Amino acid sequence: MSRRHTSFNTALTYAAGLLFLAIFVGPILWFIALAIRPAETAFTMPPQLTFEPNLDAFRHILVDPGTNARQLVNSLIVAIGAVLLNLPFSVPAAYALSRFKLRGKKNIMLWYLGLLMAPPVAFLIPYFILITRIGLQGSYFSMILVLQTLTIPFSVWLMKSFIDEVPVELEEAARVDGARWYTIMLRITLPIVRPGIIVTSMFAFVFAWNNAAFPLVLSSRSTATLPIGTLGYFATSGVTWNYIAAAAVLAMIPPMIIFLVFDRYVVRGLTFGSVKG
Amino acid sequence: MHTTTVRSPRAFGPTRKSFIRRNLPYFLIAPSVVMLLALIAYPLLFALRSSFYFWNLQIGPEPLQFVGFENYVQAFNAFDFRAALTNTLILSMLGTTLEFTFGLAIALILLKALPGMNVVRALLILPTTIAPIVVGFLFRYLYDPGGGLLSWLLQSLWLPVPAEGILGSPSTALAAILLVDIWQWTPFFAIVLYASLLAVPDEILEAARLDRASAWTILMRIKLPLIKRTAIIIVMLRFMQIFNTFDTVLVLTRGGPGTSTRTLGYSLYEQGLVNFNIGLVSAMTWITVLIVNVIVALYVFFAFRNEEW
Repeated sequence: MSRRHTSFNTALTYAAGLLFLAIFVGPILWFIALAIRPAETAFTMPPQLTFEPNLDAFRHILVDPGTNARQLVNSLIVAIGAVLLNLPFSVPAAYALSRFKLRGKKNIMLWYLGLLMAPPVAFLIPYFILITRIGLQGSYFSMILVLQTLTIPFSVWLMKSFIDEVPVELEEAARVDGARWYTIMLRITLPIVRPGIIVTSMFAFVFAWNNAAFPLVLSSRSTATLPIGTLGYFATSGVTWNYIAAAAVLAMIPPMIIFLVFDRYVVRGLTFGSVKG
Repeated sequence: MHTTTVRSPRAFGPTRKSFIRRNLPYFLIAPSVVMLLALIAYPLLFALRSSFYFWNLQIGPEPLQFVGFENYVQAFNAFDFRAALTNTLILSMLGTTLEFTFGLAIALILLKALPGMNVVRALLILPTTIAPIVVGFLFRYLYDPGGGLLSWLLQSLWLPVPAEGILGSPSTALAAILLVDIWQWTPFFAIVLYASLLAVPDEILEAARLDRASAWTILMRIKLPLIKRTAIIIVMLRFMQIFNTFDTVLVLTRGGPGTSTRTLGYSLYEQGLVNFNIGLVSAMTWITVLIVNVIVALYVFFAFRNEEW
């Protein structure tokens, strides 16, 4: 193979890389620009690439009148709450599935997987009626509770893949020394697997943060989350694109940062650990 | 491992210990299973019961009349529900296939490990991180007939854009929704396939090259079979996610124009949360749940037949 041919291939590969960035990242940058550009230039034809950036839209959504600041806090409460409620249920289950031989393990794992495929909208009406009847409508807890249908199955799969990697010999040694199973789990395995718990929590956080279906039905005006906030601009008083974009950028940033920071775990998280990344 | 010589001095009597020890894994799994069953069983049973009643929350707070299978008949005969079923199948089949194909192509290019390409790889995942509702807004902006970037680009390339806008015309709206899904999820396939292809041992590939196997043969006969399990799982997950899509549709088209972009997820949303037709939506729910279960069961049966866990 000639040298010229290889350098041509190299150039082609870089061109492809740039094309991918233009297609998959370009629209995001264009949308972020919408949040900081003067409102009147949003729809000029041809598109205006240079403009004087300003933070008016962010000021409007966060400070005056600041409706989205509240929703930002609500999103945080719901997502963090979902993670905290999730861990005590999913970590022991993942530990058991990783460490013990048990009958029907494959079926249990598939059952969790199957739950992730349930149509969330199909469950909204029953939840809506149940939550209203027990007087929890508009509460953070109702959203956090219902989100567990997504976060528990996901976390069990992901956590199991992390626990699988802790050498059994460490636990054997402790057992020989007379330690009980819960001492072993709490004092040996879980500390070692702490990065896995953090990664699992971050992904569960993103799931809860990005979810719009449950808050759409279960939240009230005062507990609405950010995605619901963006929908709000749409429903009222004509479309105010700068405000939508500013609120949307706010909603976009935490998941983006998490995915970029946990880059090496992204594959594992996206496939619930079923694929070791 | 079983040790007979070492016995914990603090161990309880044999019966108590063996009961707890024998069932320990089940005790650890039980809380999550109970929690999930509680959260899943209620909606399903509720929907099953409601599906046999005429019940509209706009008319009354309680079920009005037992109607047997009337709601199921009505759902199946409803023109828009059948349209939704067709659209959903088109979206999920085409979406999964195209995303897998494009994702694989991108993964193979990323595998040419050139300096700087890891930055491309890391940034490529960004669309997948964004909430579907937000992606919906992003594309509404791009599709806008009065100055959206994508509409403008198409016009600049002398491509026909419907006068009503890309989302406003029944001939292009479903394709527009499909494009949004492809944009958001192709990177997901690309990154996951890239990572699993990285794990294919070099020796095998070298051996194949020595045998003068073509790149295509290596891909089809060696690389793809080795990443089969990954591929099976991500295709299944993605298929079901598209099957249940409703938030992007809600933001982009509200199922219109006509029934051209109505999906099952959106139909459930509209009948339940806009029209509050609880009886009918419950019947639709059960139809959807049954369809989903049949598809997943068939898929799992064939795909995981020979898999070890």
